[in-house]
Amino acid sequence: MRQWTVLFKKEWIEMTRNFKILWIPLVFILLGIMQPVTSYYLPEIIKAAGELPEGAVFEIPMPTPQEVLVQTFGQYSQIGILVLVLAFMGIVAAEKNSGVSDIILVKPVSFANYITAKWVSVTIMTLGSFLLGILASWYYTGVLIGDVEFGELLKGSLVYGTWLVFLVTVTLLLSSLFKSNIFVAGMSLLVAIGLSALTSLLSKWMTWSPARLSTHASSLLLTGSPDKQFALSLTVSLLLILLLLVSSIYLFAKKERAA
Amino acid sequence: MTETLVSIENLVKRFGKETAVNDLSFDIKKGSCTALLGPNGAGKTTTLRMLAGLLHPTSGKIAFDGMENGDHRKYIGYLPQHPVFYNWMSANEFLIYVGQLAHLSKKESQQKADELLELVGLIDAKKKRIGGFSGGMKQRLGIAQAMIHEPKLVMLDEPVSALDPVGRREVIEMMRELKKKTTILFSTHVLHDAEEVCDDIVIIRKGELALSDTLSGLRKKHQHDVIIIEAETDITTWAKGLTAIDSVHEVSVERTNATIVVSRLEPARNAILQDILTKNIPVSTFKIGQSSLEDVFMKVVKA
Repeated sequence: MRQWTVLFKKEWIEMTRNFKILWIPLVFILLGIMQPVTSYYLPEIIKAAGELPEGAVFEIPMPTPQEVLVQTFGQYSQIGILVLVLAFMGIVAAEKNSGVSDIILVKPVSFANYITAKWVSVTIMTLGSFLLGILASWYYTGVLIGDVEFGELLKGSLVYGTWLVFLVTVTLLLSSLFKSNIFVAGMSLLVAIGLSALTSLLSKWMTWSPARLSTHASSLLLTGSPDKQFALSLTVSLLLILLLLVSSIYLFAKKERAA
Repeated sequence: MTETLVSIENLVKRFGKETAVNDLSFDIKKGSCTALLGPNGAGKTTTLRMLAGLLHPTSGKIAFDGMENGDHRKYIGYLPQHPVFYNWMSANEFLIYVGQLAHLSKKESQQKADELLELVGLIDAKKKRIGGFSGGMKQRLGIAQAMIHEPKLVMLDEPVSALDPVGRREVIEMMRELKKKTTILFSTHVLHDAEEVCDDIVIIRKGELALSDTLSGLRKKHQHDVIIIEAETDITTWAKGLTAIDSVHEVSVERTNATIVVSRLEPARNAILQDILTKNIPVSTFKIGQSSLEDVFMKVVKA
């Protein structure tokens, strides 16, 4: 346990010194603020752009506060995931590539400690940034458009957060198996996009898919209850996260000692 | 002193079709300093990485202090050929970090770090970021991190090969210090470095054991008296004829230069000198010396 704490602390010192601790939450907060602000000012923006013919009348309906938060999730599904993947693609691979893992792993370091310390750091960072971002979005939505009950927000966010955690766990697994950062990032994004696409294309068969969690999160906010088969999707996601983590440890240990 | 710390038996490592280490067996004695010597690409690094537990052997056994195939990492300190650290840490932080990873408490770790920084001469740079270190400083920090948990065996992969003469000197001196405290195994392709600090020498060639002996044994067995003759004309034919003399062991000629390895100096010298006079060979130099270990090394490696 003491060794785990040492490894865990090191991750945070590293994220502090390379400013990840600052810019990852910042990106999420900015994205979160932008959504309600642009929704609110959209008519003004279009007017100011001045590209409309004289006398044109546009009625742009103001979205409900719930819709604004769902749109924020949409932002996170694109730019948010991209940022997370890019930030964590090298979490293991970079240490192997530079050669520093030679010095670290020759000490009596347990592979499980090594990987899980990274996983917990990444998960806290992901959930923390995302929650800060969605809180900022919630605050500005409340100021500009209308209130959403905090409990509803929290439920929806936790469900959506699970999908993000699933994705960064995929990145961690790929990072501990492959050397190329670009490959790890590409594959992670492919999993995110591919799984989402498959889930909506084959929605009847893919009710278990972790990608369904973002749908569930949206309907939790919009209708107050999740979509059908919510429990299945959540359970499968949590199990998959665990499976990915265990495989990361197992495969990393095996690969490190055989390559 | 003759107790065995590590014994390696029939070690094999294959990467795909390529065999990097083939059927390698040797022992490392407790408290000794062993040099793993061989030309580039002989399999030195692969062997060390297997001993360090960074690589799994394809087959063969590594017994550490009588224990087989366990996790030996806590008894081992390892310096990779090109040590890399976290550039954003300071030397002091890094040593404490690896010390704690090796199950020292923070306090013990700090204490050891101070001692080692003093020993390797980095005490003034202890608060500096490793990113700004020179190659020599990184090498010294590498030795310090290998020593932090007082391992029973310290392995250094080419510790001096990348250093300038001053840095080389410093590291060699440091190894002499370390030798008093622990067992050392280090790889090098320069025989001279091995000669300076080592007691035992293991030479490998193309992944196979070529020779394993103590330095003094090696000297005794392989160091011969040689007679070096230089002449004004081509003496190839004459010199080759010298093998007829009883105590002449081996002759190698290169036009006007001949190197003659002899088993007994006295009779060989007299016989050759006599031959020179009778055949009227225009000798310009006649020198008596000893074959260097470098010659032994070259012979073993090229054979």
